[in-house]
Amino acid sequence: MESEAVSLKGRVLVEGNAVGEAVVVEALSFYGEVNPKTGALNDGRSITGRVLVIGRPRGSTVGSYTIYGLRYYGKAPKAIIVESDADPILVAGAVLAGIPLVDRVTGALSVISDGDLVEVLSGGIVRVYKRSSSSPLVRGRS
Amino acid sequence: MYLTRAEEKILAGEEGEARAEALRIIVKVGEALGAERLVPIAHAHVSGISYGTIGDHGASLLEDLASRGARVAVPTTVNPVGYDTEDPSLLEKAGARITPEFVRGQSRILGALRRMGANLTLTCTPYYMPEVRGLPAGSSVAWGESNAILYANSVLGLRTNREGGPLALMAALTGRTYYWGMHLDEERVPQTLYHVEEGILDEARAGVLGEIIAASHRSRRPPLVDARLRDEIALREFLAALGAAGSLAMAHIQGVTPEKPPEKPEERITISAQDLEERLDKYRPTDTPDVVFIGCPHAQAGDLERLARLLLGAGRVRVRTVVTLSRREYSRLLARNPRVIGELSGMGVVIARDTCLIVSPFGQPGIRVATNSYKALFYLSKRGVKVSLAPLEDLARIAVKGV
Repeated sequence: MESEAVSLKGRVLVEGNAVGEAVVVEALSFYGEVNPKTGALNDGRSITGRVLVIGRPRGSTVGSYTIYGLRYYGKAPKAIIVESDADPILVAGAVLAGIPLVDRVTGALSVISDGDLVEVLSGGIVRVYKRSSSSPLVRGRS
Repeated sequence: MYLTRAEEKILAGEEGEARAEALRIIVKVGEALGAERLVPIAHAHVSGISYGTIGDHGASLLEDLASRGARVAVPTTVNPVGYDTEDPSLLEKAGARITPEFVRGQSRILGALRRMGANLTLTCTPYYMPEVRGLPAGSSVAWGESNAILYANSVLGLRTNREGGPLALMAALTGRTYYWGMHLDEERVPQTLYHVEEGILDEARAGVLGEIIAASHRSRRPPLVDARLRDEIALREFLAALGAAGSLAMAHIQGVTPEKPPEKPEERITISAQDLEERLDKYRPTDTPDVVFIGCPHAQAGDLERLARLLLGAGRVRVRTVVTLSRREYSRLLARNPRVIGELSGMGVVIARDTCLIVSPFGQPGIRVATNSYKALFYLSKRGVKVSLAPLEDLARIAVKGV
């Protein structure tokens, strides 16, 4: 079943293993685009308990407090993956909130789609199990 | 990243858990940016402390740090908050809505900052504080608040990146920041010269110059600016505009910036007086505003003296007029020219300390504001406020006679 997964690799900024469904956003400013009290993006999708996949971070520096707020209100994502470079806003927020953070994950946006199962492992390894396949990881774990 | 023994000890928790966490954040951000080491800082200025932006979770984070023993390691000043702390309802005269909940939340934030040892200066112009003016040029500091960052790098020769959100506080708690960006000599050398053809620029024109440069500048190095700025207000408004409209941390202004500019910049861009006038045309007041606003960034004592001279003999202002400044400048004005505050208040001018219209809960969509600050125009416009731009002498006339 391992052979069905796509493996990506990035740079670990905040250590931690996690597994969850992917929510993919091309560019994200936490301040103004994520509600820390509900874990919802402006388009209604929830990032709570999911693996948040971001193409590139942007926006106001108050975003670090928003990321901390997600943890404070119990609405944090399980991990954050960034295709480009994480910015100081995201790094500070992820450390404060204790959310595993991997950046420079080349190909993340083209490989990962909403609903795919994503596993963040040590050393910056990101395993992607496509939703369209029979999701062996979920079956194997249940 | 290379860490000194002292820094490793902090990370290991020998100076407390809170300082260890603060340093871990600084180190992680530095690693993400590719910094090779940390640099000691002489001062920190913390922004993003308004309850309106960081909310209950921000207040809780700061209280948590304070109760875990976090204390600043270097002199630390802080940005304005949502109201005048001695008279929270004062800005309601200008249309701000200050609820008891807001005051409670803001008080939690201020209490936590005080417990951590910050000096509650509540101003976006820490560069006018004596403790900052006394720092030698070349010192590394860690500042939030974009206008202050621009002023620190460009006028005082201090060195800081844009340390927004909690980053300046984390630097304050550790006395260090990552050695990267504006702390490095080579990153401060401009490559592109912006030559303003003619004329002496008042603060409204200086603001639109900031907008033009922010929009056209491509290099991550500071722009080199050859322009005649009329006075201190014009200098402050130029830098504030550049900070609001773009992501730069420094402008190298000829005749102002203490560092030596390169003899031959790689690129030269000319801005004509007509470019500035055309841009300003979009922002000129065309009808009588609901509010005249002065003091973004915070005004100096001398600005209020000038306003009082401009309004002399006019009776009461017809348009609600708000001036915001720091508690320190207010005291300085009281000491050197005690009649000015009484005269302005007598004319109906609202003088608020610790706050400004941008960080206060102000801004019903559709309300019209005239200001001499491009930065205020930039941020208030985002809230649906209709903002126009004019220099102080025009604002004084508008306050009395309308447009």
